[in-house]
Amino acid sequence: MTQDRTEMSEDDDDNSQSPPLDLRSAAIADHCSSSSSSTPNKSRNCMALNSQTFPDHVLENVLENVLQFLDSRCDRNAASLVCKSWWRVEALTRSEVFIGNCYALSPTRLTQRFKRVKSLLLKGKPRFADFNLMPPDWGANFAPWVSTMAKAYPWLEKVDLKRMFVTDDDLALLADSFPGFKELILVCCEGFGTSGIAIVANKCRKLKVLDLIESEVTDDGVDWISCFPEGVTSLESLAFDCVEAPINFEALEGLVGRSPFLKKLRLNRLVSLEELHRLLLGAPQLTSLGTGSFSHDNAPQSEQEPDYAAAFRACKSVVCLSGFRDLMPEYLPSILPVCSNLTSLNFSYANISPDMFKPIIHNCHRLQVFWALDSICDEGLQAVAATCKELRELRIFPFDPREESEGPVSELGLQAISEGCRNLESILYFCQRMTNAAVIAMSENCPELTVFRLCIMGRHRPDHVTGKPMDEGFGAIVKNCKKLTRLAISGLLTDQAFRYMGEHGKLIRTLSVAFAGDSDMALRHVLEGCPRLQKLEIRDSPFGDVALRCGMHRYYNMRFVWMSACPLSKGCCKDVARAMPNLVVEVIGSDDDDDNRDYVETLYMYRSLDGPRNDVPKFVTIL
Amino acid sequence: MDPRNREICPKLLDLIPQGRKWYQEEKINNTDQEKKLELRLGPPGGDEDQSTMKKINIETRNNMKQQQQQQNIKKESEDKSFHCFNGNHFSPSNKTTYVPQKRTAPGPVVGWPPVRSFRKNLASTSSSKLGNESSHGDQINKSDGGEKQVEPKKEGMFVKINMDSVPIGRKVDLNAYNSYEQLSFAVDKLFRGLLAAQRDISGGEGEEKPIIGLLDGKGEFTLTYEDNEGDKMLVGDVPWQMFVSSVKRLRVIKSSEISSSLTFGCSKQEKKIRH
Repeated sequence: MTQDRTEMSEDDDDNSQSPPLDLRSAAIADHCSSSSSSTPNKSRNCMALNSQTFPDHVLENVLENVLQFLDSRCDRNAASLVCKSWWRVEALTRSEVFIGNCYALSPTRLTQRFKRVKSLLLKGKPRFADFNLMPPDWGANFAPWVSTMAKAYPWLEKVDLKRMFVTDDDLALLADSFPGFKELILVCCEGFGTSGIAIVANKCRKLKVLDLIESEVTDDGVDWISCFPEGVTSLESLAFDCVEAPINFEALEGLVGRSPFLKKLRLNRLVSLEELHRLLLGAPQLTSLGTGSFSHDNAPQSEQEPDYAAAFRACKSVVCLSGFRDLMPEYLPSILPVCSNLTSLNFSYANISPDMFKPIIHNCHRLQVFWALDSICDEGLQAVAATCKELRELRIFPFDPREESEGPVSELGLQAISEGCRNLESILYFCQRMTNAAVIAMSENCPELTVFRLCIMGRHRPDHVTGKPMDEGFGAIVKNCKKLTRLAISGLLTDQAFRYMGEHGKLIRTLSVAFAGDSDMALRHVLEGCPRLQKLEIRDSPFGDVALRCGMHRYYNMRFVWMSACPLSKGCCKDVARAMPNLVVEVIGSDDDDDNRDYVETLYMYRSLDGPRNDVPKFVTIL
Repeated sequence: MDPRNREICPKLLDLIPQGRKWYQEEKINNTDQEKKLELRLGPPGGDEDQSTMKKINIETRNNMKQQQQQQNIKKESEDKSFHCFNGNHFSPSNKTTYVPQKRTAPGPVVGWPPVRSFRKNLASTSSSKLGNESSHGDQINKSDGGEKQVEPKKEGMFVKINMDSVPIGRKVDLNAYNSYEQLSFAVDKLFRGLLAAQRDISGGEGEEKPIIGLLDGKGEFTLTYEDNEGDKMLVGDVPWQMFVSSVKRLRVIKSSEISSSLTFGCSKQEKKIRH
């Protein structure tokens, strides 16, 4: 077992760990795969318990029966490192594979090691790509994966992709190649359209889950809802709130009507309130509902309006509510009947004022997950703190995401939440004004915090009461929140903040830094002090070559490092690349005309078992 | 090349002094000064404009690097100035129209605040009138943060849009949208009521019907535009960004009249001549 292989802990929402193959087991992989077709000599060397095959078989049968109960990736990875025999059996019994970086290995390596995969979770682009920091067509193509798996895993049931580029052809191949296919989940993906979805809907007869989440879906004009086959479906979850294309409502209504197992339904913006009403009447068994536009299609009716509240009252099982894409606030009270059952509520597309919000939230005693816009103001947050004692996750997004906007939420809201919601585990908070005192208070009141992401939208903003940097606040978070695994920092921050992080942030796996720090020492503190660090994303901070070199002992144990608009030189990056052959060092955005230019615009580096990728676009240079 | 860029280049290089002094000089509220100091980067393989900008970047960044390596401790103002060079990635920061109210920092920066594009258009697409009101005019500063396109965007790009049979035109901000689909929804929103009202007046059905099929020729109406060369074009052929950079005005025409749209330009010019 490698000495420096750190124990993997669970991330907040994405259970991320190192790729299933570490460098040692890669060597084992090669060795064993060659032995299976092999000469007897080799197989004897390979098996520790050799010469008699009988005990081997027994052991392996036992192992197989035991290992199939192991679900956790962490446990499976550990088991696979015990010895070659265990490695082999584990590889045969692993049915769900998680790959945190699609470029960490090639699809062929996956199919060579794991033979019976039913479910794949694959992640592509780094998160900063969502914020326009990476040119389009960078990569993360699903195509090579689907074509390799089409041959290797005909029994594949589930594909869950995040930030991948997926084409309609890929979806067509998927639909054709996997007759038992059950679950397709596409999060933050792009490259496909309604025609691809239509093919999946039509050909995957056992489809249970079709979730399109925050993805860009081209409107090809295809009526994909009508493409679901006739007859009763196995659909349990259908989410298309990100699809910006009109829906054939009659077809949707028919589909919902013949999907008795449907529990989760997320409508898009183009489904009106009246249509929602009709759907609810036909599907009272729903547990998770995305309400679509929540506004009227037509001009206000003079006739009797549908009784929306009654429809909601009939949905006794709804525990998760979202949507409200074009909310007409006067209809918001219709959801009151379900509020007391809600464990999850997403208002983050709705511009709701405190006055409209308070009567609603007062009923949501069971709420655990709450997402909203800052339009609810500090006042709204105080109402949340007063009622939602079980709150675990809070996300407050800016209605007006500009640096100079007014900012209706502040340290007051944060303080109130920290006092009222002691079980808080995860927070994402956009604001314009913050104080160290409020952040410190949260660190003391909410010891269960695992995710703390504070975005003070004005760059380099200090504590607005004391004028000091936000070092003490974030310092308190890393000091007091002993379970913290994910941290995103903002505001005016000096090297001191990073010193705190290096000293106390022992469990941090994901760190997001922007416009922070004074010098290389800051990054050095983190690279030397945070042994669990897996994902590091930095932008516009004064960390240069010296800092980069400080992390060389860590980069093989990390999933990736992103540094953009930092004073790095190409020479240093080349040195790192040379010193670490299994690290792919990408420099993105280099000017083709000027290869001599030493400055590095964006550095994205990650460990890889199969070397540099073969689909590198023009604007990427691999050192 | 844009004359404005020419004007900026020499001045920018002139402004890079040797010592630390210029950091203090940075603390000005003068927009001109900021304009000069704003560097832009276009996408790789971009046009001439951007390569010039990049060359400026190289020199200043090398200077910055040297200066930076000399000092470990930076004051806040220095940070700001440093970041004013580094804050711009794949799209030019805003230039002329933005004037910071409270801060001396330069204009909005790409991808900051880190909000995904579909959350950025809330103020424009939301029909709700409560809470903080953000009018279309405020979209000036939204254009280059968090959206998935990478190419440069101008801020607040309002173009006229007219619809057949509706006498009153409207204006639409193309920078508020990322795709043709979003634009076609916006057209529906802008004109649905007006169209219904117009039909009501002329004795037809006054009921509001959604305006759909603008892009595929299947609807009653089709969206067309006039490009920078004065030609009438069907919307949807070229990539979105290319469209945005060449469109001058929009027109929603009856699909049945597509063949006669060839003479549309002529009749428009005739009208102009008559006036």
